[in-house]
Amino acid sequence: MDVWQQFIILLEGVPLTLSISIVSFLIGIVVGLPIAFIRVYEKEVSFVVDAYEKIFRGVPEIVLLLLFYFGLGPAFPSTFGNAFFVAAFVLGLRSGANQSQIYRGAIRGVGDEQMIAGMSIGLSKWRAIWHVMVPQVFNFSTAGLGSEYALLIKDSAYVYVIGLAELMKRAIELKYSANDVVTPFVLSALLYIAITFPIAFWLDRWGNRRKKKLGL
Amino acid sequence: MEARHIYKTYGSKDALKAREGDAKTCIGAKSVIEAAKDVSLQIRKGDIKLIFGPSGSGKSTFLRCMAMLDIPDKGEIYLGDECLTIPGVDLNKARARIGFVFQHIYLFRHLTALGNVELALRQVFKLSKDEARRRALDALTEVKVTDCVNKYPSQMSGGQAQRVGIARAIARNPDIILLDEPTSALDPELTGEVIDTLRDLAREGKTMLIVSHEMPFAREVAEEMIFYDEGTIVETGPPSLFFNAPNTDRAKKFMTRIINRTTREEMNV
Repeated sequence: MDVWQQFIILLEGVPLTLSISIVSFLIGIVVGLPIAFIRVYEKEVSFVVDAYEKIFRGVPEIVLLLLFYFGLGPAFPSTFGNAFFVAAFVLGLRSGANQSQIYRGAIRGVGDEQMIAGMSIGLSKWRAIWHVMVPQVFNFSTAGLGSEYALLIKDSAYVYVIGLAELMKRAIELKYSANDVVTPFVLSALLYIAITFPIAFWLDRWGNRRKKKLGL
Repeated sequence: MEARHIYKTYGSKDALKAREGDAKTCIGAKSVIEAAKDVSLQIRKGDIKLIFGPSGSGKSTFLRCMAMLDIPDKGEIYLGDECLTIPGVDLNKARARIGFVFQHIYLFRHLTALGNVELALRQVFKLSKDEARRRALDALTEVKVTDCVNKYPSQMSGGQAQRVGIARAIARNPDIILLDEPTSALDPELTGEVIDTLRDLAREGKTMLIVSHEMPFAREVAEEMIFYDEGTIVETGPPSLFFNAPNTDRAKKFMTRIINRTTREEMNV
């Protein structure tokens, strides 16, 4: 099997790798953002989200993937029995735990004054968070989010353990079928780089432009 | 609007604990600041009152208590007949009826001037898009910053930004406008334009409570001046009282200092 054929096989795994990473990234936003605000503004219930963060930041993804897929899969075949669901669930919640840290720093960067100004015009706490804090928090987070996205692309390689035919799984299979231990991994490394940096770069540049424009 | 017997202390948690007699944490005891000690104040519709006094005396904190942006430790705040300091009151609704202008302006940095003024109209008052825009533009016209409508705060001068801040506070036609040293964070040459705006508001009969040291302005518009020091109201009276012969020594001293400074500035100009 020549290099080109191997490349095509690997390339066909890219959409899956990308969709796992992007879906997890979005889950991470949806989970991480409220958690960050809960930790800053609702200190009484922080212990709940604290436990969640500790679990998902402290346990290796590969353990969680195996645990949810093989442990809960048989009991809940339509959800945890679905490898893509488990991948997005584990990576998404892990990313949420990381992202909440990024957002917490950003909330501090935006500053409490903006929150007070929001409340002074009659917005409730959560409305002020939504209309005043959230848009600015994103501007402060882009650098961190860029590296978080890169991390997710890399972590998506772990999901080969639950059998999804993404980039990593295909590389491992090529190792046997093409009887070549080097080329598939060199090629997949190049592909990983190619899909990581454009988005991380774009996020960073967008963030810097916004920050400059808004004088943050 | 009325404040009755307001008390407010602030400081680090440790410091507050220390005051309550927790022997373990008395290190920070000095950092407790008594911003208000039994302060009462009444403003009727159309009144313009001016609070002044040394920095660090608690004026700003007291003003924030009036708007319930800081919750007083003790005492009552009334807005019309409604008591805001009893638990369960919808403070968001109350704050919507109080305009607040900050010393450091605090415009929403991610929104244009128009967006800053529109936000409350859209999200609190639920006006239609057109109606909110119309009223926001009216307010921006009133403070004469029509050239900034689509600018972000970072693209405005301090004076423009503060006038947008004032527009944000008046657009919803609040019962009262509270202004916390609206000119003291600005470059001296920019205070004039903000003072002009405040003068216009005074002429329209707006109800205002202003913390300020702009003495010529105070003399011109204030019905009553309130000298505030160390968390209490030391003396109140019409401007003429303070400019001629205040009753208390503290007020006398402060007036002398501030009038000297003002004249010095005017001579420089």
